[in-house]
Order: sequence, then structure tokens, then C-alpha cells
Amino acid sequence: MDDDIADILASVSAPALPVRTLDLQALTRAWVNERTAPELLPYPTDLVDRVMERIGKQISTIEEMSGTMDPQANFTLVILQTELERFKFLVRSFLRARIAKIDTYTLHYATLPSQLSPLERQYLQSHQSLISTHYSTSFLSTFPTSLQKLDDTAGGISMVDKPDEDAAVFCRVLRDTGNVEIQGISEVAEIEMKRGDVRVLRWSAVKEAVERGDVELI
Amino acid sequence: MALPLPPGLTPSEVGFLCEMEQVTIIPRQRLDGLELLGGPTEPLRPPFPVPLPLWLALLLKKQKRADISPPTWLSVEVLTQILDFEMDERTAELFSPSQDLPAPTTTAPLDGDPYLAHDALELSPPFLKDAATSRAQKDALPYHWNELGHLLLTHAADNFVEPDMVRKLLRDLREVRMSKLRKGFKVLDAGAGTQLNNVGGMEIAEVRGFVVGVVDGLRRLNHSREESRKEREDEERENGIGSSSYRDDEDEDML
Repeated sequence: MDDDIADILASVSAPALPVRTLDLQALTRAWVNERTAPELLPYPTDLVDRVMERIGKQISTIEEMSGTMDPQANFTLVILQTELERFKFLVRSFLRARIAKIDTYTLHYATLPSQLSPLERQYLQSHQSLISTHYSTSFLSTFPTSLQKLDDTAGGISMVDKPDEDAAVFCRVLRDTGNVEIQGISEVAEIEMKRGDVRVLRWSAVKEAVERGDVELI
Repeated sequence: MALPLPPGLTPSEVGFLCEMEQVTIIPRQRLDGLELLGGPTEPLRPPFPVPLPLWLALLLKKQKRADISPPTWLSVEVLTQILDFEMDERTAELFSPSQDLPAPTTTAPLDGDPYLAHDALELSPPFLKDAATSRAQKDALPYHWNELGHLLLTHAADNFVEPDMVRKLLRDLREVRMSKLRKGFKVLDAGAGTQLNNVGGMEIAEVRGFVVGVVDGLRRLNHSREESRKEREDEERENGIGSSSYRDDEDEDML
């Protein structure tokens, strides 16, 4: 009973964080998740659009301030520029991590365009056509016609490389989510996930929880 | 163009992450509140302490415009207490408890909410309130304790009461915890699920390569055994109980 009252009070009285801070937390989490996960996660379109708009406005503010050479304003300028560089690093590293995954598993993500942003889809198309043109002109055209496909699925084994869905990842549980199934050597077990646990788990076991936000990768 | 690094944060990226933690500073000069990309900051009016992100605090300290007030847990008494806890034989399998987590303020998202919607975004390090400020919990280490301690001692050693002692205690703590982690490698298995509560950010970055390699390697070695077990279970489930030969033998014995 007391816990419920405390929870209700906490949720009512805690001041809401400004949207910018929540966006920074969301962008940081997106970056860490993307850097750690073996697979491509859904693209957070709204978040990236908001952040890019704010970065653009900040750049124009900084350019205006660079005009006046007042010493006090000069220091503020240094602070704003430092923070801008930090944000740009976050966004760039996030996008570069995604591009690395697209490059490695091009044909696989060609079949899953919903995970990619429009620009990434364009990049995927041109990357794929460049690679296949390069392969055909170098050696593929000399193969017999039946062996020239790059996405051959004959024989029960697909040529298309999929990302390793059972890779081990470190994760932290943010909300109690109940049980998660893990595959042992000789049996299947279920473990309970409580808030604050840090565990090493297979990606396939936590993938949905990460996309829901119940678990984050670290 | 594409990032050439393997999955997982490098130690420098963990350091970048920890620079977003809030610390308390005592300004020496006035400065107006700024509208930063990450949120507004409070105006600086000496000598009132103000919480700021660590990167900004270090910038101000380097320019001698502020002093950083060490977090409550980065003192000789608290670190000695935590070190005694870690070195005690009875806690050989545990790490010292980390700071208490507040109750979760968000719930799972509804269907159709985008990935990382604000309503479902639960705060986590480095954005937990008061992890490294002067109001931080006094007897527990936060997630980024190692990086925070190192950065503050490097750049703001004159704001500490006994910097050499604190440095020595941090080093000892790091060694004790790393040896506990290494002893824990024995229980790594292919199914994963190893629990590592209260471990720190830099510690995870250090062992990540080894642990992920071991777990993945064990998984590959046991892959065929797992596959055959799964097939056997699926068959039993599909065909019902009567299909397995064990039952047939029992029926015959009853006659």
C-alpha cells in the first residue's frame, strides 16, 4: 500500500525532463544498441529528424554568434561548439554502425526495407548494383550460366549471409519483463528478468525486449 | 565510411558516454544559462553549486572558471568501506551493490509506437539523476565509477581532500573486481544467461571481447548437439506420447 502511494506521488511530483534531454537519452540509447547488436534495429525516423533539425538551428546560431567578437560571448561559443561536436559524433557513429551492417549483409537487408531509412535504401541499391557489376565483370561472367546467381537458394542452403542471431550481447533490464527462454546445452531453461539485472544473453532471446525498450544493451 | 569496429563499445566510447553524467560544480565566474542541444543549463552565480554535464565541467575547470565538487562516493572513507566489502571472503562471488535504482516511471509501449518513443523511454546511466553529484548515494558505486574517478582525478586533483589515497583505492578496487570477474569465467556456458549485477561500464568493456568470444565459441561447438535435441523435442511434441519406444516397452511389461 505504501509502495503504491510512493509510486503515485513520484510519478505526479517528478518534473518532466525537457524534450531535448529525452531526445539525447534516446539518441544515446539508439547509438549504444546499434553499436552492440549484431542485427540492424528499426530506424528511429522521428528522433533523427528532430535531432538533425536542432543541430541545423544550432549551427546557424553559432554562425551568427561568430560575427560578434565579445569575449564573454566567445566562451559561450566554445561551449556550444563543443556540444555540437559531441552530438555530431553521436549521429555519425550511429549512422556509420548501420552502414557497416548494411555493407556486410547487403542482400539480406534488400529483402527487409522496412528497417532502413529512405537514404539507406538508396545506398543499399547503389551498393548492391556496384558490387554485382564488379563481380560480373571480374569473374562471374566466365562461370556457367547456372552458377552465376548471387542469391542462390538451391540445395537447401541459401547463399545470402544472414547476421548471426544468436551472438552473445550484454544487456541491462530496465523494467520487469517476466521470463526469457535460454537454450542450455542439454535443456531449455527460463530465467526471470528483474529491473537492474545485467546479463550476458543471446541476441535472439532479448531482441524483442530491446525493441520494446524493456531491456537495453550495454 | 562504414564503422570498422567489431560489435560492442570500445573503452573510449564508454568514456564518451560517461562524460554525459551530471556532476556538481562550484563556479568562480558568472555565466548565463545556456540553451544547449541536450537541454537548458542553469545560470552560474558564484558561489552557489550547480549541476552540469561532466564534459562541460571539465571544460570550465580547464579554463579555471569553476571547481568540481567530488561526488559523495569518491572519498577515502567510502572507498575504503567498499574495498573491505569486496575483499571479504564471504562476498567472493558478488560485487558491491550499486546505487539503488528509482522505481520505473514508464511502461511498455503500446503496439504501433515507434522504436524509442519517449513514453516508453526509461532513464538509465549516464542519465540517472544524482549518480555523481554531491547528492549522490553515499555508500555505493555508480555504473561509470572507474571512468568518472579517473577523469576527475586527472583534471581536478586539487579539488580532492587526499587525491593520492583516492587514486590508490580506485586502483585496488579495480584489481579486486577484475579478479572476481576473471574467476567468474569458469561458469560461462553456451546458453549464456550469466548474471553480472553491479558490474561497472569500463569493466564490461574490458571483458566483453573475451566473454563474447567464449560464449559464441561454446555455442558453435555445441551447435549440433542442440540441433539434435531440438529435433527430438519437436518430434515428441508432434507425434504424441505413443511414439517413443520407452512407452512401448512398458506396455509390453504389463502383459
